[in-house]
Amino acid sequence: MSLQVEDAVVDLTTEKRRSPTRTRLWGALLAPPAIWMVVFFISSIAIVVLLSFGHVNDVGKAVFGFSLDNYKALADPVYLKVLLRSAMFAIATTVISLVLGYPVAYTIALHGGKYKNALVAFLVIPFFASYLIRMYAWSTLLADEGVVNQLIRDTGLSDGIRFLNTPGAVVAGLVYGSIVFMVLPIYASLERMDTALIEAGKDLYHSPLQTFFAVTVPATRAGMLGGVLLVFLPALGDFVAAQLLGGPSTYMIGNLIQQQFFEGHNQPLGSALTVVLMLALLVFMVFYLRATQRANRET
Amino acid sequence: MATDSITQTRRGRSVEGKPKFAVAFTAFFMFILYVPIVVVVLFSFNSKKSLSVFGGFSTRWYQQFFHDEALLSSLRASLLIAFVAMLASIVLGTMLALALERVSSRPARITGTVALIPLVTPEIVTGVAALLFFAGLGMKLSLFTVILAEITFSISYVAVIVRGRLSSMSDDVEEAARDLGCTPFQALRLVTIPTILPALIAAGLLIFALVFDDFVLAFFTTGVDPQPLSVRIYSEIRMTISPAINAVGTCMLLVSVLLISLSLIVPRLLGRKDSSLDLISGG
Amino acid sequence: MTDQISTSAGTENVTSETPAIQLIGLTKNFGDTTVVNNLTLDIRRGEFFSLLGPSGCGKTTTLRMIAGFSDATQGRILLGGQDVTSVQPHKRNVNTVFQSYALFDHLDVEGNVGFGLKRKGLEKAEISRRVNDILELVDLDGRKTAKPRELSGGQKQRVALARALVNRPEVLLLDEPLAALDLKLRHRMQVELKEIQREVGITFVFVTHDQDEALTLSDRIAIMNNGVIEQCGTPEDVYERPKTVFAAGFIGTSNLMTGTYSAGAVTVAPGVRVELPGHPELIDGSTSSIAIRPEKIWIADFEPDMVRVHGTVAATVYHGATTQYLVNISPEIQLTVVEQNLVRSRHDDRWSDGDSVEIGWKPEHVVVIG
Repeated sequence: MSLQVEDAVVDLTTEKRRSPTRTRLWGALLAPPAIWMVVFFISSIAIVVLLSFGHVNDVGKAVFGFSLDNYKALADPVYLKVLLRSAMFAIATTVISLVLGYPVAYTIALHGGKYKNALVAFLVIPFFASYLIRMYAWSTLLADEGVVNQLIRDTGLSDGIRFLNTPGAVVAGLVYGSIVFMVLPIYASLERMDTALIEAGKDLYHSPLQTFFAVTVPATRAGMLGGVLLVFLPALGDFVAAQLLGGPSTYMIGNLIQQQFFEGHNQPLGSALTVVLMLALLVFMVFYLRATQRANRET
Repeated sequence: MATDSITQTRRGRSVEGKPKFAVAFTAFFMFILYVPIVVVVLFSFNSKKSLSVFGGFSTRWYQQFFHDEALLSSLRASLLIAFVAMLASIVLGTMLALALERVSSRPARITGTVALIPLVTPEIVTGVAALLFFAGLGMKLSLFTVILAEITFSISYVAVIVRGRLSSMSDDVEEAARDLGCTPFQALRLVTIPTILPALIAAGLLIFALVFDDFVLAFFTTGVDPQPLSVRIYSEIRMTISPAINAVGTCMLLVSVLLISLSLIVPRLLGRKDSSLDLISGG
Repeated sequence: MTDQISTSAGTENVTSETPAIQLIGLTKNFGDTTVVNNLTLDIRRGEFFSLLGPSGCGKTTTLRMIAGFSDATQGRILLGGQDVTSVQPHKRNVNTVFQSYALFDHLDVEGNVGFGLKRKGLEKAEISRRVNDILELVDLDGRKTAKPRELSGGQKQRVALARALVNRPEVLLLDEPLAALDLKLRHRMQVELKEIQREVGITFVFVTHDQDEALTLSDRIAIMNNGVIEQCGTPEDVYERPKTVFAAGFIGTSNLMTGTYSAGAVTVAPGVRVELPGHPELIDGSTSSIAIRPEKIWIADFEPDMVRVHGTVAATVYHGATTQYLVNISPEIQLTVVEQNLVRSRHDDRWSDGDSVEIGWKPEHVVVIG
């Protein structure tokens, strides 16, 4: 059945139809932003992909080409280790964000009462402060001479703990940086959920925990998936957290890319790294879309 | 029978009651959320040049900031970038949202999906892409290139926010306007835009804050002088540890928090039930 | 009071005979689906005309085509004699009251109602005067400065009505405007709507799926089904003399019975012959459908010329003013009989389940369909 007929069949049950006589105006509205996006976004992404097949010439200038040298270079275990580490960090960030963020979303949605909107506002405001500043703040807090270590020394717990320059610090920073993007979608889908489902669940299951996992979690699947999407992708491509809270031993793809463009001056290689990152994102997006399709079908 | 134990468990926790653990956890969560911010602000008033020991209250770092010409020019640069990007992205983003909401052809649907990609793409990818794009065109990096790059991803944000608002507005309203004598363009100008105006204002404030704070994209597309404030701070952070940075940071925080709070309140003041809060969490 | 028939059309050759709306061969296709099928219809000036039918019958699409929001695939639409088939909505002299009211949130009541007049370029003073007059007519003159979100459903409905009427269109189109109101409010609004229409004299085209509403309000009704008009006529025509099986069944209960006609009776079930005197046009051996309205069936106090049938009471339903009996005259055929609780107002006087009864009706009350 053609798409038009499907639409018509759907509309038949609602007795409403949209007239196509206005497309001239809307087409005119669509053109400028569409052109902008094509020019500035799509073509720029295309350039990255193209340059990844290039190389650096004798004068040090980046040149387009047709070789796979950059990708071959990336097969080196040094790079692979970084790629793997980035994936691990991103996954860890996502899982921790989910585990920590869900209870917060749940508490606000189901127990927030009249303070709900205020609570969400309080949650959201810090996240629109500069990411850089927030990472910087943690780096000063967790530094060897920072406030946290001072407190530890003062209370005599130990001589001081090395927080920075560890994978833990980087992941903690990443979690801190994006956890609200996990909380908000889950909160939204909890809000949309009918609490009668929980009441019904309580009649069927023996404990609140069972009810939670059997009823609430599946109902918020869309929200969780949204949160995973919004946390995983930026974490994968992050370099600020690793830079400020970590060191060379915790380098992520983002750091490598930044290096190639600003210190190594090997833009083709940097492009190849970026393309690898884009591919990883693409793969993830495919999984995400399949998962949401499945979730939608089951609701 | 098991029914007795079930009744007992049911009496233990209900949706109406407040489980103490969850509330405590959330409170702790909020606390941790604000700790770094409080620390930054606190130490910006430190009389000692230290980030771990608070000596006493002093505004020396602010005075230093406001006498540092380089920092001030960065501040002006960031404000300019944010302002221009906000205007351009509101216009282009709203146009995009309107077109996507009303046109259901295939190219429109594809454009709609493409317009969302910048939102989920890590900034480093868009940063690299923008950098190469300008290099390929032979453009020298400058404030202008930063603005162009920032507009691109801001359009996506605006489009999402405005689309959300549009979809909750019944399109009968536009038809009513045309029924009462408006051409399609007049209906847009006299009815649709005024109706979504609070959402536009909220989106504008949001974009300003986001662009003002933005680091990665600015880092990749900035020229040498002037640099946006976030980029300048980054180089400072790499070099020194000083409460001067805290002062700058606090100022940036102030700007952002103010704008975000406004964007949450203004639509409510203009008599709207929804606000950017709903736009963000519901979108 | 102003002229009974008042429009702002200004066309010269309009006589009181020219229909307000003429639909000629109007067809609307969406892809392969035909939603409105070759509709031809005249709507007279000053009449309250209803398009009645189930969901999906094409009534709303027809209305939207008259308004100009939907393009006709084929056919023509004439407004006061002028072809407006390809004219844009804002240039047509019709106004619409939407089911969702479609009020402008950013304007107050006065701003909403005066919107169309402002588009027309009228002077401020004149706009103000007309807005005040119409608000008085719909009983909202105290709420001029209210915003739509402060109004109740019924009030919003009246603003929508005022906003459309104030422009003095040739035709007012109403798309199920009362559907969102609760029952009591709806009945009140129906009465008000009818009064307003009588007072302003504008042609109303009213879309509804509620047959009671159509019967109450309309001067004429067009019953639509699957994109075609099953029957068009006055409420009485449509109720007492349905012309198609669908029309008979859509409005009220029809007690439709189908069978073979022979020798002055129709065999509707094995062994059940229903006498049908007075129909010489029917041929022996042909299939006939007959319908009889519940209130026309008697369950006692028969008159001599009535046709009588035996049956068993399957159910009795008490409706306060009336009692409804479901009577099986055969295992497959159940007739609905409605009797006023006048003589038999006490429970004991009425029949109960299982009783064997005789029911009857006057021959002239039977409608032969097809």
